[in-house]
Amino acid sequence: MRYVGLAWFLCGVSLHRLVEYRADFMIGLVGFLLRVGVQVALVHIIFSLVPSVHGWDYEQVLFLLGFAILARGMDKLFTDNLWMVGGFLVRTGDLFRFMIRPVRPLFLVIAERFFWPDALGEILLGLVLVVYAGSRVGLGVPLAEAAVTGPLLVLCGALVFTGVKLVTASLAFWTTTSHPVMHGANQISEFSGYPLELYGPVLRRALVWVLPFAFTAYFPARYLLFGERDEVLWSPVAAAAVLAVGLTLWSTGLRRYEMTGS
Amino acid sequence: MIRAESLVKEFRSYERGTGLRGGLATLFNRSYKSVRAVDAVSFELEEGARTAYIGANGAGKSTTVKMLTGIMTPTSGRCLVNGREPYLNRRRAALDMGVVFGQRSQLWWDLSVPDSFRILRRLYRIPDSVYQRNLRLYREMLDIDALGTTPVRQLSLGQRMRAEIAASLLHDPRVVFWDEPTVGLDLRLKESVRELITHANRELGTTVLLTSHDIGDITAICDRVLVVDRGRVIHRGTVRELAGTATSRSVLFGHQEGLGEEETLTRVRSVLPGSAASVMEDGRFRVDYPSAAFGSREVLSILLEHFEVTDCYAPEPDLESVVREIYGAGTGAV
Repeated sequence: MRYVGLAWFLCGVSLHRLVEYRADFMIGLVGFLLRVGVQVALVHIIFSLVPSVHGWDYEQVLFLLGFAILARGMDKLFTDNLWMVGGFLVRTGDLFRFMIRPVRPLFLVIAERFFWPDALGEILLGLVLVVYAGSRVGLGVPLAEAAVTGPLLVLCGALVFTGVKLVTASLAFWTTTSHPVMHGANQISEFSGYPLELYGPVLRRALVWVLPFAFTAYFPARYLLFGERDEVLWSPVAAAAVLAVGLTLWSTGLRRYEMTGS
Repeated sequence: MIRAESLVKEFRSYERGTGLRGGLATLFNRSYKSVRAVDAVSFELEEGARTAYIGANGAGKSTTVKMLTGIMTPTSGRCLVNGREPYLNRRRAALDMGVVFGQRSQLWWDLSVPDSFRILRRLYRIPDSVYQRNLRLYREMLDIDALGTTPVRQLSLGQRMRAEIAASLLHDPRVVFWDEPTVGLDLRLKESVRELITHANRELGTTVLLTSHDIGDITAICDRVLVVDRGRVIHRGTVRELAGTATSRSVLFGHQEGLGEEETLTRVRSVLPGSAASVMEDGRFRVDYPSAAFGSREVLSILLEHFEVTDCYAPEPDLESVVREIYGAGTGAV
């Protein structure tokens, strides 16, 4: 309960800061629009050449892409400060300032910037894509069911993103900086916005078993669009598993942390 | 209040080859050596004690402070702050502690100082009366209002340090660890900072552990010292005792004997064998004599006997040189 109150308060602080850093916000927004614009354009181009890809048509892929953007946006809205851990907090020793407070360090790191406004753009755009494509193509499950499971699946997807970010960020405790690894994982997560059938067997298995990005959008989309429930049931398990690994690495790393300098 | 029991911290450092070839070799065959930054340090500080933890750069001071504040876990041994091992229950321990690392900021980099304080108030659940009382104090003594709503990253070092110091005391901690707290402060502010911590110590019984290279800080804030060198405590006692261990003391004097500088120096050396004499910039003479060979009365009477003294001054022993002597001895002895 205490953490909920603190989170609320720190959200307010973050919003307050947003006003002060409007330029930051605008740059973030433009960058994001460019990136997503390219993704949507790519899908558009592919489907102007072929009518369907491995049984997925244009609107279905848009739905999948939208779902991926939505889950990623939800994660980004709250936890993107984890990038700082892999980037410089461990390397420079500045992580100490989260360890001298009577609150969990992980919470403090994340809460230092709790509210990433450019993520609002992603969430909005993801929603638009999902609703637009979903209404055009029709769902494979009853709408009432989708209204309940959809948000839960977005949450699971967001937690998978968070978990992977936590795992890769925590590696910095052993390697002093893990920014390249985080970046790599982030690149791989882009694969989650397209049908898995597009990829070779190795990448496919990796997206299920190693970095389970398949659970962020692909399996949920298959369930929502085609009514295939077998894999999607494992979404919460996948999210819990990655988070568990991440939290274990984080606390083990924190214990062996050696603050450098001074 | 603070207890260290054979506290040890070892760091592993990988031995890297030089150049590309060496770098590649390191990739496949890593050898490392252990460095003992803190070597079986033990001490006990009572509640309300004001202790200076001093030593040369690399002596293991900061490492010890990092273990006492729970940031690092000891390799072996243990330490207790207020009866708890801080690295085992960091969050609980943090409630009782205030920390300043002069070289680093603990404030929210892109928030203003008042915003940082509001967050701290929430994190520590500082009661309103305490919060307001402390803010009033900082306004008075550190002119904290002058920092305004500038983000911390845009503050000057002196401004930032004021905020850091205030932040470390905001929740009325029972123990304060200050590592180089007066870096970048001018004399007036140093004075205020010293007053502030002395005030907290007097009013609330705050225990203080200070590391500083500033002898002024040490004599103004602390009554006891622990001197560390190469990870070991090599001297402990009161600040006064420390001054008493000075092996050399000095006297400054002027005279109207009609002697040239060289002649004066020669005469001083002959009447006070074993001492060093030099000419000061203002034309006075400085005599550094071994305190084992002469008492200060003795030196004065000898000088009076041999010179027509017009002016005479015996400064306090210079703690810096005392500490340097202790380092020297420690290196040889241990």
